[in-house]
This record gives sequence, structure tokens and C-alpha cells, in this order.
Amino acid sequence: MLIGVIVLLIVIGALVVILLLTAIGIYNSMVSLRNKVDNSWHQIDVQLRKRYDLIPNLVETVKGYAKHERETLQSVINARKQGIDAKSIKEQAEAENMITGTLKSLFAVSERYPDLKADQQFSKLMEQLNGIESNIAFARQFYNDMVMKFNTRIQTFPGNIFARMFKFNAKDYFEIEEVSAREPVKVKF
Amino acid sequence: MYENIARNRTKTALIITGFIIFITAVGFAVGYYIDWRYGVNNAYSILIMVFALILAIIMSFASYYYSDRIVLSLTRATPLSREQDPRVYYAVEGLSIAAGIPMPKIYVIEDKGMNAFATGRNPQKGVVVFTKGLIDKLNDEELKGVISHELSHIKNYDILLGTIVVVMVGMISIISNIMLRSMIFGGSGRRRTSRSSGGGILTLILLVGGMLLILLAPVIATVIRLAISRNREYLADSTGALVSRYPAGLANALRKISENSEVKTANSATAHLFIANPIGKKSRVMFKSLFNTHPPTEERIRRLENMSLGVGTK
Repeated sequence: MLIGVIVLLIVIGALVVILLLTAIGIYNSMVSLRNKVDNSWHQIDVQLRKRYDLIPNLVETVKGYAKHERETLQSVINARKQGIDAKSIKEQAEAENMITGTLKSLFAVSERYPDLKADQQFSKLMEQLNGIESNIAFARQFYNDMVMKFNTRIQTFPGNIFARMFKFNAKDYFEIEEVSAREPVKVKF
Repeated sequence: MYENIARNRTKTALIITGFIIFITAVGFAVGYYIDWRYGVNNAYSILIMVFALILAIIMSFASYYYSDRIVLSLTRATPLSREQDPRVYYAVEGLSIAAGIPMPKIYVIEDKGMNAFATGRNPQKGVVVFTKGLIDKLNDEELKGVISHELSHIKNYDILLGTIVVVMVGMISIISNIMLRSMIFGGSGRRRTSRSSGGGILTLILLVGGMLLILLAPVIATVIRLAISRNREYLADSTGALVSRYPAGLANALRKISENSEVKTANSATAHLFIANPIGKKSRVMFKSLFNTHPPTEERIRRLENMSLGVGTK
């Protein structure tokens, strides 16, 4: 009888230990995934900041040739400010969509000024901007991959139980509305 | 992904351990033979074994820290700056952001053949190498496919294993070469004049050691083939396609590369690093059975074309 109780206690003890170890493992993997998501967000942030730094130069250059386009220039500046002030990822994504949109109309406007298009400073800034924008797209891709991994981890069983226990919340994707914002895929034969 | 990294690290540790044991064992065998020949008890076997052990440990450290530089100088690769080729630079920069690794250094080999490889001991020290022919002949999408493939090797730590193997195999073949050469040339010259003196112990060490290494070369080759499975190429193809989001780019690149992937500075020790077999058709016959580390291109293209990109296209 006594032996039976001891065996039962050992079995229960072993089960508790196994459960605890599993819980620790799952918790740690969630924390490391969340850190990866945060880190990949930082990669996007670096690229966004590069674009914020570039925009004032671009606006100044355009101003020198196209004084009458105050409205377009102001909308670019406003969008940039909105991007810098953004608090959440959703806000940030909206602001970035706006920046991309206003920059596009700025280029449309610049088409009307041949002198501006011939300006070396302008074409250099354009080249840099193109590089930054494609890097933003790549960083966004990596970030969204990480978010998908993290969200899958905390939404599937048994992760969802622990996620609720330790308050892991699903992360937002960084979404860009316009399809054209992503570099089009060219097929060449 | 993470299992792969762990597997590559374990294999690297195993290969280094195996290398140290192997060199020490060869040292012991040589010493044992000399002991037997001269009738001394364990004097040379222990002495040479300890010497071989120390040498092997030093070589292992050296190959861990310097293997990437050794490989780069073996293949005569030179650094490529942003000014020299912005197209390649920006493509590598962007794709390494997408792959989530630090931007690797870019090197180029002046060769008309189309090929590429990656080296370095970890993603922080990663290097990607392209031939001039590859940069010139591939279009943007194909180039991005190749870059993504190489970045996947860096991410999976394939580069650590692959690069260490190059140096270890290289060292064994260099040692056996030196030993045999000094035996054939130095030894035969001396033999005519001082045959009666018995050639000396040094000659004997060189002779027995060289012979042993030569005899064991096929064993070493088998070990390498086991270590570097062809699966890692398929794996890098598919993870690469997930990074570039365009499997057809790499598929088309592989099709082009298969026309001429010969790199003159590549040899049997470095061949497995490359994206496609760099050994010319003539010498390939000799090495085919020993170093068949590349899966058939047709099969790789077929798998890429079957890849559906339903996952992670967000």
C-alpha cells in the first residue's frame, strides 16, 4: 500500500516536472520569436529613417526649380511628419503609404520641369530613394515573415494556452495597400 | 531552419575532431613503424604522435579562423565595391535584409565561366563570391535568384562546414604531397649517394606518413561526401526562392549556368562550395565518383518550378 502511494507520487512528480520543462521551453521560444519580430521591425525602421532624412533634401532641390508646386511639396512634408509621429505599426503603415503616394505625385510634377530632371543632385537623390524603397520592401517582407511565424506560434495549440497565460498578443503585419509599391516581377526569356 | 544550423555546427565539430584524431593516428602509426624498424620501445610513436596532435590542433584553430581567407585566396577572388558594380551591391544589400542576415562582403573572380559560392564562419563574417561571367551574363531576376541561394547557405551555416572541409581536405592533400614529393625527389637523389646510411629517420617519417595519407584519401573523400549532403543544395534553392519570392529566377539562372560553369581557379577541394560544379568536363571524369557533391541541374530546376509560392507571399 505504502509502495503504491510512493510510486503514484513519483509518477505525479515526474509528470509535473515534464510539464514544467515543456512550459519553460514553449515560453522561451515565444520570447525569442517575439524578440526576432522586434528586431526585424528595427530593420524596417532603419530604412524608413533613411527615407525621412532624404525627403527634406529632395523637397529643397525640387523647390529650387518648381516654386509653384507648394501644395505637392507641403503634402510630402506633412506625410513625412505623420510617419515620424506614428505610434503604432498600423499608423506607421498608413503614413508610409501616404509618403509613397505623395512622392509619386511629386515625381509626376517634376516631369514638367526639364531643368529639374537634368539636375545632378536630383537624379542622385532619386537613385538613393529607389534603393531605400526597395530595401523597405525587403525589410517589410522579412518582418511580415517573422510576424507570421510568431502569430502562428501563439495561435496554434498548445502555444495559444501559454500565450493567453503570459499575455503574448498577435503582432500586426506591416501592410502596403498599393500593389505597385512592390517592385513588379519581370519575366524575361 | 534551426535544426539545420544545429546539424551543421555538430558536423563541423565532428569533422574537426575527426581531423585531429586522424592526424594523430597517422603520427602514431608512423612512429610505431619506426619503433618497430629500429627496435626502440615507444620512443618515436609517442613523440611523433604528440607532435602530430599539437600540429593538428593548431591547424584546426587556423582553419576555423582563417578558412574563409584561405578559400578566397585559393580561388583568386578580389573584393567588389559599390562603385564598381552598384547593381550587384544593391541586390545583395536588399536580399540580405529580406533574408534577415547582416550584409555579406562581395568578392568577384575574374573568370568567364558562370558560378558563385559563399564562405565565412558565421553570418556576421559572411562573404559571397561571383564570377565575372555570372555578373555579366545573368539578368536582374536571375542574379537575385543566385544571390538568394548563396545567402541561404550563409543563413543555414552551410558555409562554416563547407569552408572548413575545404581547408582540412586541402591540408591533408598538401601534407601528403609534400611528404611524397620530398621522398621521391629528395629521397631518390640522396639514395644514390648514401643508400647504405639507411636514409635517416626523417625520410622514413615522410615516406610512411605520405603513403598512409595517400592510401586513406578515398576514405577521407567518402567522409566528406557523407558530411556534405546534396540535400543542402536543394534546401538552399528552396529557402533562396522564399527570400527572392521568385523561384523562376533561380531556375533560369541554373539553366544558363549549366552551359558553362567552369571556374579555372576551382579544384576538387573547393568544388563543393560552388552553386554548380566548377570542374571542367575533361577533369570531371576523374573526380566524378569522388566528389559528386552537386545534384543534377535538371532536377533542381524541376523542383524550383514545382514550388508554389502560396506561403508567405504577404
